[in-house]
This record gives sequence, C-alpha cells and structure tokens, in this order.
Amino acid sequence: MWASCRRLRALRHWSYERRETALCALSLLLVCVLSACAFVLPTYLLLPLAGLNGLLVIHGLLRRGSIWGVLKLGLVQLSITLSLYLILYGVEHLAQGAVVVARIILATIPGWWLCITAAPERIGEVLSAFLPTKWAFVVAASLSLLPYMADEIREIYQIQCLRGARITPKALRNPKNWSELVYCVLFPVLIQLLKLSRQMAVAAQSRHFGIAQRPTHWHSPRDKND
Amino acid sequence: MKLLALEGVSFNYGSQLPTVLQEVNLAIGTGQCHCVSGPTGSGKSSLLNLLAGVLNRPHEGDIWRYPQLVTGLVMQDPQTQLLRQTVGAEVAFALENLGIPAEKMLPKVQLALRRVGLYLRLDTQVSTLSLGQKYRLMIAAQLVCEPHLLLLDEPWAQLDDHGVSELLAVLRNLIQDGMALVLVEHNASAFAEIIQHYWQLEVGKLSEGIYTVNNAPQVEAPAWLNQPKFEHLGKVLVSAEAFEFGFDACPTLFACPHGFQLQACEIVTLVGDNGSGKTSLLKTIAGVLNCRQRIPLKVLGRRPKLGIYGAELGLLMQRPSRQLFETSVLAEMQFSLRRFDLPKERAVQMLDELDLFSLAQLSPHKLSYGQQHLIALASLACLRPKVLLLDDPLAGMDKHYYGKVWYLLKRLSSQGCAILLSSHRSIEHSAVSRQLSLRNGLLVEELIETGARYVG
Repeated sequence: MWASCRRLRALRHWSYERRETALCALSLLLVCVLSACAFVLPTYLLLPLAGLNGLLVIHGLLRRGSIWGVLKLGLVQLSITLSLYLILYGVEHLAQGAVVVARIILATIPGWWLCITAAPERIGEVLSAFLPTKWAFVVAASLSLLPYMADEIREIYQIQCLRGARITPKALRNPKNWSELVYCVLFPVLIQLLKLSRQMAVAAQSRHFGIAQRPTHWHSPRDKND
Repeated sequence: MKLLALEGVSFNYGSQLPTVLQEVNLAIGTGQCHCVSGPTGSGKSSLLNLLAGVLNRPHEGDIWRYPQLVTGLVMQDPQTQLLRQTVGAEVAFALENLGIPAEKMLPKVQLALRRVGLYLRLDTQVSTLSLGQKYRLMIAAQLVCEPHLLLLDEPWAQLDDHGVSELLAVLRNLIQDGMALVLVEHNASAFAEIIQHYWQLEVGKLSEGIYTVNNAPQVEAPAWLNQPKFEHLGKVLVSAEAFEFGFDACPTLFACPHGFQLQACEIVTLVGDNGSGKTSLLKTIAGVLNCRQRIPLKVLGRRPKLGIYGAELGLLMQRPSRQLFETSVLAEMQFSLRRFDLPKERAVQMLDELDLFSLAQLSPHKLSYGQQHLIALASLACLRPKVLLLDDPLAGMDKHYYGKVWYLLKRLSSQGCAILLSSHRSIEHSAVSRQLSLRNGLLVEELIETGARYVG
C-alpha cells in the first residue's frame, strides 16, 4: 500500500517534469515560427503578427520581464535605419525603412519572451534532444549570460563616458563619434566576452562537464520551499 | 593518504613566454590544508588550475593523482563561474554532467547548500545573492560531488569579515571530514587556524613559507606630500542631506539620517558588508545611477549627472581591467588627457613617479591584475580630479601595489582632491581622515583607529 502510494507520487512528479520540458519545447517551436514569420510574411500580415507579439509582451510583463531593452534597441535601430534610407533613397522610401525595423522588432520579441518564461537549463535540455550536448550547453549558457552582459555593457559605457569618451547621447548625434563607440565600448566588451567564455569553460570543466555521454537534467521541485 | 603529488613540474603558456612554474614539488594528503601566497601574477591561479586538472597545456615533470581523485575548484571571481540562473540548478550542474538521475539530485543539492550554510529556496535567482553568498554557492556547487580535494582562489579578498568567519567554520568541518584543502591567499593570517602548510610562489619557484614583500615602495611619502595646500582646506565638495536610498520599486536599502560631507584634501572610507549598497552610493555620487527617488545630493555644487563634471570627477569601478582598450599602457593613460585637453606629459611623469615606466609600451591586457588596477587608478590621478570615488580599490592587491596605491592617494589628497573609497572591511591607515559606515541599513560616520593595516 505504502509502496504503491510512493510510486503514484513519483509518477505524478515525473509527469510534471515531462510537462515542463514539453511546454518549453513548444515555446521554442512557437518562437522559431513567429520569428521566421516576421521576415517571410507579406507586409499586410504584419499587423496580425504584431497582435500575437502583443500577447507575448503582456504575458512577459506579467512575469515581471522588462521590455525597455527591446524598446531601446528598436528606437536605436529605427533612427539608424531611417537616417540611412533618407540619405540613400530619399523621403519617399522612409516607410519601407520603418517596415524593415518593424520586422526586426517582431523577430526579437518572441526571443525576449522565451528568455523570461523558460529557464536556460530547460532550453538546453530541449536542444540536447537534437543537438550535441556541448552545443546545447553553449546555447543555455549564452542565454544565462545575457542579463550579466547587458549590465557589463552598461557599466563599460558609463566608465568610458566618465573618462571623457565622446559617446554620450549628445556626442553620438555626430556620426564622426560613432567610431569611438566601437573603439571604447565594443572592443572592451568583446575582450570581456572572450575572457568570460574562457573562464566559464574552466568553470564547466571543473564541474565535470563532458564526462557523461548523456547528461541528466535538473528540475526544480514543485514545492518551492525545498 | 596521499591524494596528489607534483614532482619537478614546469609550465608556461607558450614557448616564447616566460615560465610560470619551475620545478615545482608539492604533495597533498587527506585532511591537510595548504596555503600558497605570492605576488599578483606569480602563477598561483595557474597552479590551482594545474592541480584541478583543467589546464589544457602540456607541462614538464610528473603529476601523480590518486585513482578516482575528485577535485573541486572555486576561482577568484564567483560571477564568472555562474552557469545557471537559480540556486538549485547551479548546484545541480555537476550532477547533471555526471549523469546522476534527476530524482537523486534533490537530497544531494540540499545537503551541499546546508554544508556551506546557505539556507535558500532552490528557485532563488542567483543574481539576487550577495558576492559572499555567490562564493559559498560556488563551494556548494563543488561539494555536491563530494570532492577529495578543494581548491580555493583568494576567498578573503571576495568576502567581508562575516563571510570569512562563516567560510572558516565550513572549511574547518570539511577538513575534519578528511577533505584536503589548498588555498591561494594574500592574507594567510585570516585562515591561520586551519592552515597546516605554508608555501610561497615567486618567479615560478614554490618554497616553504609565507610570501613577504622585499621591494615594497616607500609607503610613507615625503613630508611635503602630507601637507595639504592651505587654499583647499575646508572646501565642501560633496554634500548630502538626510536621505533614504533604494532602487526603484524596491524597499529601502539604507538610510542616512544625518547626511554626509566630503571635503577637499580628505580621504574618507566607506565601509560595509557585501551587498550593503556601497557601489550604488558611489555610482549615485558620480551620476551614473539614476533612481526615480531624488537624493538631496550636491557634487561640486551640482546635482550629479553622468558626464557633466569632465576631469573634475573620477570613478574607479570594480574590475577596472574592463575599461582598457588601447594598445599600450601609455596610450591608455593619455586617452582621458587628450579628451579633456590636458598635457599628455602628465602620463609619462606619473609612470615615472610610480616606477612603472618599463610598462609604458606594453599592452595593458598583458599586465598582472595589480598592474592593471594601478594603471587604471593612475589614469584617473593624471587628471588631478577634485573628487575621486574608488570602489574597493584594494581588493586582491598584494602589498607591493598596495603601497603604491596609498602613495598615489596621499599625493592626490595633498593636491586638494576629496577621495571616497569603499571597502568591505575597515581600513586602518594614517592617511584616512574619516570613516563612513554602512551597516544594518544605516549610513553613519564612525570613529576610526589609526595605524597601518593591510586590507588588500
């Protein structure tokens, strides 16, 4: 009697874990489809797609995600793209430029939503079903790293502003200063990324990464007090 | 029982590069605690990596390992070792790699967290932990595999005094359980009660004993250096009325019931535990951090905003190696001088004064941690700012560079600069004028004892 109760509990527990993984797999598929649609759908279907993306944004915000990063990226993209369209093709093609930016944002939002709703290790687990383990780990680790790298980029930008680099929003209105942004911020960020990836590789290696042919996967217990 | 032995091991990072380890001999047995000290850049971390078996370069000499030896390595900066977003997933990572079935992970993860004194929910976000908690999480992530040998890289520099005493209790129990421990540590005295074997690593040679600085620069600066210029005395450069500080939509982090001031020629320390809000306060003063809640703060007579002070305000954040991008040390130091239209010769003078001119044409990325730190600080000192904010500038510094940092700070102070430097432990140095203490959610001025004590 007692043993059968335990088996039943274990079965429920496992079905929850499988459900969690299956849900993540479906989310990943949805994200791929929506992001692809942003580039392949004709312009008149972008509005319904934006509606679907709007639902993802609402869900992401309810899960305490911040959309500011995506909005800022969109604004920067919009200003650069529209400026280039204006210079290269004139005023009459500005709408085309705006559509290009809209497609990029619509392709970005599903990825943002996935980062908020799915744990990186769960994404890694799903990917490991059809990718080599090392590749799945790299994707999961990169996703985990995103918030940290966003903070690093912000801090490096602030440090260089204080050091007198001509990269303040006002200075960047002059295209002559754009190269300074690459030189002072992008180069140090890339160097940081290289160093970080090496240190993370050592950290993973020191925790036996690559030993088991088929690694298992951690599932957080349902009882959050555990 | 012998766990690991190095016999005549030599190692370098490339055939053209200098040897990092030369003819190193070391034997480690169960229940032993070894401590390795040495100057920054002497190869201590490389030695730990070699012991952990994660160094993927060939070496000379023999390394003998006990069959099925399990080692655990915790590197200096816990932030760069985090691979997952929640506490449970982070600790379970090693178990995943060993192919342990998911249903057997939970008790092991819980036990490892208990052993390091972390009583947290398993879904706690790692990003919400303090640095000290992250360091202990990294130890738990290694203990979950029950290693025979644990390797720790400079825990004292990362942790506040409370964190060190907690770690000490954890390590004492682990050693009693038969685990061997190798610590790389500048301040061996902090772990004296558990250390049985002392080693020093200098110029690639490992020998018995504790590393001491032989060629430390003169810490006591000439008399003229300690004489602040009369015209600067009493000038208030930073002032804040009573305020409460907290991030947007978060509870108050700390309160400052009496406000505070920074005057010209002062060196003031800001002391508080990991996560108490020191960095946030420094960033707020520099205008880098903007919360919706306005703080009644004036810096050089103005409300702080990023970039409005030019060369008059300097901020040295943690890990200043992040800001390096030029191809030579001299170019790196001259960058801000060029941008603020100041004489470029100051960089050469500064390097000369700090006895670092030999580094002028080297790439800043090839320097040791202490050298990078000092170059970043010297770059700011060249500007002769009126206000200088330093976030934990002494963390991880060996005594050699520690002396040079103090020389530089005294020099700036005598020129009228107000210096605020944060640390997670009290800095007892004769040059410190006052101490602001950030403890238990309160920022208040505290009386300090004077006298030089190494807190690097």
